[in-house]
Parts: sequence; C-alpha cells; structure tokens
Amino acid sequence: MALEDPARMAYFLIRRTIGFVLTLLTVSVVVFAVMNVLPGDPALTILGIDASEQALENLRRQLGLNDPVHIRYLNWIGGALQGDFGTSHSFRVPVSELIVERLPMTVSLAISGMVVTIILALVLGVAAAANHGKPGDWGVMFLAQIGIAVPSFWLSILLILLFAVSLQWLPPGGFPGWSDPLGAIRSLILPTAALALVQGAVLARVTRSSALEVMRLDYVRTARASGFSRQRVLWRHVLPNALVPIVTIVGLQFASLVTGTIVIENVFSLPGLGRLIFQSISNRDLPTVQALVMLFAAIVVTVNFIVDVIYVFIDPRLKART
Amino acid sequence: MELSQVSVGFAGAVALRKASVSIAPGARLGIVGESGCGKSMLGLCLMGMVPDAGQVTGSIRLNGQELVRAPERVWRRHRARDVAMIFQEPMAALNPLKRVGDTVMEPLMIHEGLSRSTARARALALFEEVGLPDPAARLRQYPHEISGGQRQRVLIALALACNPGLLVADEPTTALDANVALRIIDLLVRLSESRNMALVFISHDLAAVSRATDQMLVMYGGDIVERGPTAQVLAEPRHPYTQGLLGARPGLENRGRTPDGRRKRLVTIPGTVPPLHDLPQGCRFSGRCGQEFAPCARQRPQPTALGQGQEAACHLLSPLHAGHGTCRGAA
Amino acid sequence: MSGRLPVNLIIGAVLVALVVGVAALSLIWTPHDHAAMTIRNRFQPADGVYWLGTDQLGRDIVSQLMVAARNSMTVALVAVLIGGSIGVMFGLLASALGGWVEDLIMRVADIGFAFPALLFAIMLSAVFGPSLTIAVAAIAFINIPVFARVTRASANQIWMRDYVAAARAAGHGRFAISRDHILPNIAAPVIVQGTIEFAVAILAEAALSYLGLGAQPPSPSWGRMLSEAQTLMFMAPHLAIYPGLCIVIAVLGFSLLGDGLRDITDPRLKRRRA
Repeated sequence: MALEDPARMAYFLIRRTIGFVLTLLTVSVVVFAVMNVLPGDPALTILGIDASEQALENLRRQLGLNDPVHIRYLNWIGGALQGDFGTSHSFRVPVSELIVERLPMTVSLAISGMVVTIILALVLGVAAAANHGKPGDWGVMFLAQIGIAVPSFWLSILLILLFAVSLQWLPPGGFPGWSDPLGAIRSLILPTAALALVQGAVLARVTRSSALEVMRLDYVRTARASGFSRQRVLWRHVLPNALVPIVTIVGLQFASLVTGTIVIENVFSLPGLGRLIFQSISNRDLPTVQALVMLFAAIVVTVNFIVDVIYVFIDPRLKART
Repeated sequence: MELSQVSVGFAGAVALRKASVSIAPGARLGIVGESGCGKSMLGLCLMGMVPDAGQVTGSIRLNGQELVRAPERVWRRHRARDVAMIFQEPMAALNPLKRVGDTVMEPLMIHEGLSRSTARARALALFEEVGLPDPAARLRQYPHEISGGQRQRVLIALALACNPGLLVADEPTTALDANVALRIIDLLVRLSESRNMALVFISHDLAAVSRATDQMLVMYGGDIVERGPTAQVLAEPRHPYTQGLLGARPGLENRGRTPDGRRKRLVTIPGTVPPLHDLPQGCRFSGRCGQEFAPCARQRPQPTALGQGQEAACHLLSPLHAGHGTCRGAA
Repeated sequence: MSGRLPVNLIIGAVLVALVVGVAALSLIWTPHDHAAMTIRNRFQPADGVYWLGTDQLGRDIVSQLMVAARNSMTVALVAVLIGGSIGVMFGLLASALGGWVEDLIMRVADIGFAFPALLFAIMLSAVFGPSLTIAVAAIAFINIPVFARVTRASANQIWMRDYVAAARAAGHGRFAISRDHILPNIAAPVIVQGTIEFAVAILAEAALSYLGLGAQPPSPSWGRMLSEAQTLMFMAPHLAIYPGLCIVIAVLGFSLLGDGLRDITDPRLKRRRA
C-alpha cells in the first residue's frame, strides 16, 4: 500500500518539510527579536557604559543598527543561509570561522554522549523489563530515579573528584585536539560519562516501560510459542517494537542533550561551541551569541524533523496512515 | 501427548483442576466452555506456557517424556517442532514490524538451520499449503496489509513451519467473519488429515467445534464436566451445563424436545460464570444449574461413564444417586 | 488497591517537607549569618560550631545551604506559577476555541518545546547581563508550552462531558464554561504537572546559577556554590558534595511527589494497576 505508493510518501515528506521550514523561520524570528528588538542598545551592551557617543555611533553603523528592523532581519537571515553569521567582536574574525573551528569538539561530545546514552538505556531498560518485579528491575529503576535528579554538572564534579583528583587516571578537563587521538579519547571519557548517565536514566525508564508494554502483546506470545530463546524474543521481537516510542523520546530529549553538551563543555573547559557561547556572553559578543543560539536551535529543530521522518521508516504501520 | 491430573493454581484460585487428556497422533479434540472456564489454560499447559505465577501439578507427557516441571529451556525445544499454537487475534499475534514471509521463515532458519533462500522456498510452499492467494506476493507484505483471514492463514503457516505433531488452536475463528471462519476450520481439518497432525481446537462456538473435531471436552469452572465423541455429545448432552450450552435444557423453553440447537451459541444459562477464586464448594455448576439436589452443593461429582466413550461429571448421572432427579438423557 | 498511598508519594512528600521546612526556617533562623565572612575561619572542618565547616571566605556552609534552599524554592515557585498560569490560559483558550486557533497555539507550543531554557537564558543574559530575574524568566518561558499541552489535552476531555453539554445548552459562553467547569476539573493533572515542573525548575535554576546565568553573588545558590567549589576542588573537595546533595534531595522529592500524585489521581493508571 503506502509502501508502494511514492505519491503519498512524497506528500507526507513535503508536508513535514514545509512544517520544518516554518518552524525554523519562527525560531529565527524569535531569536532575532529577543536579541535585537527588546529594549536595550546592543552597541551600549557591547562597548559598556563608558563608551563615547562617537564610538557607539560608529559601532551602530557597523552593525547596521540604523537600518529598519525587518531589513536587519533579512540581512541576517540571508547572510546566515550563505554561511555568513557576521563578525565576532571579541575574536575579530568571522563567526563562521569560529564555528568551524569549534564544531568538531561539540559534535564529538554530542555523538559519544548520544551513543553511550542509547546503549546504556536500551541494555538497562530491556534488562529491567525482562526481570520485571525482580531485584534487578528495582535496582535499575532506583538508579534511574536518582539519575534523573542528579544535575549533570554535579555528577561531572564528582567524576572529576574521583577519577582526576583522587585516582588521577583521567584529565580533569581540557581537550588536546584530535591530533592526539589517545589524549582526545581520554579527555572525552568523563564528559561522555557525565552526559550519558544523566540522559540514559530518563531513556532507560522509557525503554523499560515501552518494553513492558510490548511484552504483554500477543505476537510476543507467538514468538515464544515458536520456541525462540528468551534472548531472541527480547532483542528481535520486543526491542524493535519498543523502539518506536523510544525514538520519539530520543528526539524530544535531543534538546536536553544539546543543553547538556553546553553545560558539560563548560564544566570540563572543552573548547567547543558551548564554551564559546559563554565566552561570548562574558565578552558581550552579541553577533556570536545570536549566531550560536540560532545554530543550536536549528540543530534541535532539524533533529526533531529527522526523527519524525525516521519514525515512519521504522514503523511500517505508520506508512499506511500517512 | 498425555495430560493426567493436571491442575493449575494461581494464588488462591484454581484455573484448572485435575484435568486428564490424551491426544493421539492425528486426533482432533475440541474444548468448549465459556470464557474463564479453564480451556485456554489447558491449551497453555500443552505449550508449557502457563504464566510464571501459576503452579502446575500433575503430569504432562509428550511422546513419553515428562515435562510438567521442565524448565523453559526444555519446553522451548518442543515448541514449534512438536507442539505449535495459533491464537485468537491474528492481527495482534503477528509482529507488526516484520514482513509475514520473514515471520514464517524465522523458525525455519533458527530451528532447522535453513539458509534464507531455502527457508523462503519452504515459506512459499507453506503459504500455498494454507491456501494464501498469490503466496509469492504475500511473503513481502506486512500484517496490516492483509486481511484477517489471511493473517490467520499466515499464523497457521507459521505454526506448521517445523512440522509439529500437535497444533493447539485457541479460539482461532472468533475474531473472523462467519464464512472466513468456516474456511479456516476446513483448512485446519484438511491439514490435520493430510499431515496426520493432532489438533486441539479451543472455542466457545459449538458449531465450529462440531465441524472441526471428532472428540470434545466441555469445561466449566476449571473442571472437565463432560467428554466424548463430538457428534455424540452434541446429539445427546448429558451434563446439565452442556445441555445449557446447547440451549436444550429441560425446564427451559425446549422441554421434552430433541436437542436440535447444535448451531446455537451459549445464551440460555442463567447467571454468569463465577470468578475462579469464588467457585462454589461442591459441583462448580451448582447455583446456576437449576436441577440441583442434596449432594450438589457439598460434594464434587465424579465422571460417570455413559457408553460410547461419553462421560459426564454430574450427580444426576452417578449410580450412587440413581433414580434421583430427572436427567433428560437418562430418562 | 487497598487504600494505601504509593511509596513514591510518601518518600516524595517527606523530602519536599524537609526542603521546604528548611527553606522556611532560614527566613527566621540560620546557625550563622550566611554572608558573614571571616577569612581567619576559612576552610574550617565540620565541628560543633560550623556543622559542615566553612568555605574559602569563612562563610558557614549550613547557613548558606539553608538560604540557598529558600532562593531555589522561590525561583522555582515564581517561575512555575508564571509559566504555568500563562500555559494554562493558552491551553484553555486552545481547547475552548478549537479550529485553527487550537492548531496555531499547539504548533507554537511544539516549537517552544524544541527551545531549551538554557538557550533562552543565554540570549536574555547576553542582552541584559546575567541576573536571577533572567533565570526566572527563562524557566517560566519553557513552562508555558508544557502547561499549555497538558491543559489542552485534559480540557478537551472535559469538553466532551455531559455536564459541559448541559451548560452549553443552558446558553453559557465558552469562556464562562472554561472558567466554571473546565478549570476546576483539570486541576488534578495541572497540579501533578506543576509538581514535576517544580523539580525541573530547581534543576534548571541550579544549572543556570552554576553557569553564572542565575543567582549573582552574594545571594547563595546551590548551583553557584558548586561552581565556586569546583575551582577549589584540590584544596577542599568536601565543598563540592553538600550543595549537590541538596539539589538531588529537592529534585528527587518533587519528582517523586509528582509521580505519586499522578498515580493516585490518574484514573487510567488506577485501572491498569487494579
């Protein structure tokens, strides 16, 4: 049916894509409005109250602050679409250059955090569901409950105290760059653990309840009646079906993963975009903050869009409905 | 397969009481009763799939091997290869994320170590055997893309994949349209005959059981209350409950007439099935029977042989209480 | 279910009572002046005078934790109340009007969901300079779509009830019905959500203060105490323990309380457990 019906598939994709573009536009308007239209003079913010009127006027002209608001918005968004996010005041280089320089750090952390989170959550969640009501289940649920309440930055500090200060196995922070692969990996272990333990706690709970839900269904009984081993039933029949809601949560959680990455970069002084954004706040570097906020928001929106589309590919039933 | 004195108990409730059933190769046995009577539990006993909370006692022997307390791992070896099962809701019983061809190929590849292509060929043959139209195209479809009757045929193909000696069908036709149900029943009978495969057909639909089986059990409240050749039991039901099921009970609208309610579904028994934890003391059916006398409330009736392989557990039929009451069949 | 209360509700209520009690107590009494610095007394170990010792400026840790609890509760309360009220209003509006208004409100709520509080706080801080007010505003802001969604979902169910139909038949307007019939009947899910969001708000305030976007010195905050402790990790590792424990207790308390309240008020769950 829908699987063999490219027209319906195309219609679905086009509809979702239009929604995605509209969302991005809305977000860009909000970001621009907050950063530019709210009362306050960006030039004054950047230069401080001691600045001379002449210097302020020069900066306003340089930032294009004397143009009408909508022109400034269009200039900004038009530039952003071509990869031009303006010039950083504090670093005196194009913001895009800063982003390109810092992006690998952030992407490395986000990906390793995400991968470990998912593995941790799936293994613990399915294991807990398989041992429903037994001590293993209670143990996982207890840890997950605690994990949800532990702030990632405190967990990071505890990890640093234990593994960097006391045991001195791993560095307490910083990042040597990928030219030193071993050092880079060592530097990523603690940040990844801090990110994944907290994120994984939420996801493990979702995985468990989703797996429990699936285990009650008839086709799991069919699989058992077919004489398959417990492990096979669990991983080949229960998990794929339990994944559908899990993928949604992974998408929804992505916003908190981005937040987590920003926080963790600052805890461990990792030179990524999250660190850059805070340096830019201290430096009152508004164009850089604006570009980075937009970039992070765009990443979240894009991931949610991708999840929406993936969703349809994992669940053939949805293809029929779209 | 031999079950003797098998009981299944859950905390404070007996779901199945001392059931003894013997299934010979190629035999077709029907199990009839209202929901909650223990018929599905009997089916699960045959698969070793009683829920963890249930305590199973007695003896379950498969080809002479005792399995009653066998661990899951031992039972697993027999499922699909010796005993297979199909269920009531063909939609819910199929993994929605797997193409139905893959579903049928999975046990072939796992249990028989077949390669993908050989398994596919076998699945195709099975689809043909169960009468799926255009079987090659069916293989690639998902459960939601085919009709209910076709899904049940897929499940039958899945159950047959490893050539089991016994197929347990738990309400296989309840969720289907009447004419689709008839064709599924005929398919099951044909397969049972052509493969010399035993069939346990669990249903509350007497018409279906009559068409599908040659022996039958009637269950009530976890007890087997009557058994015998299907035609015999349906023509001359002796237990008041069976008579009630057939809508031919004396004292109701059909008094004195020959039972012709073979096609009727159970409708005419007053009251409802009591919950398993709250069954009456003596005969399980007391309280709803309408022909009770002294021993019914206190004493549990034992099966009485009635000739031609028919027997029923009712005080009215017991020689101990001969002459008492007016059991229609004996009159 | 016998009439017993769920365990999570009891544990949650005890923890919440503890945190709120300590926060309230700090209004009238703390062991020491939380801001009093005596450099001579810096890095005192825990003893009878300073129960958990002192920090790098000789300030009493216990007193700071107590005042920080009060600050944290205040921020969470104000943020959830503001964000919650606006969210409930939008949710009621969406449910009462339906059609394109409902679609629009819910689409915007979806976008709000994708926008982390941290990014919002970052933007506001960049423009106005960091302050506690901005932390409150950012946390309140992310609460709006959360409450709008819960309110609309619950309200849509109430709109289908017979007594609402009766009120409509009697000629009551949509807004009057929203106020008189819908709002009182969605109180339970909204309060459950509020309790859970309270936990989220405590966590968010701690994170923002840790990052320097929340409470500014000298106002004590668990998050900021942790960021100061991190710089002293080699000298005084114990300073990094207590504020974190306080955050965990407070967050755990409110989220368990929220889960417990949901368990006893959600009829859907009740049926499943029966």
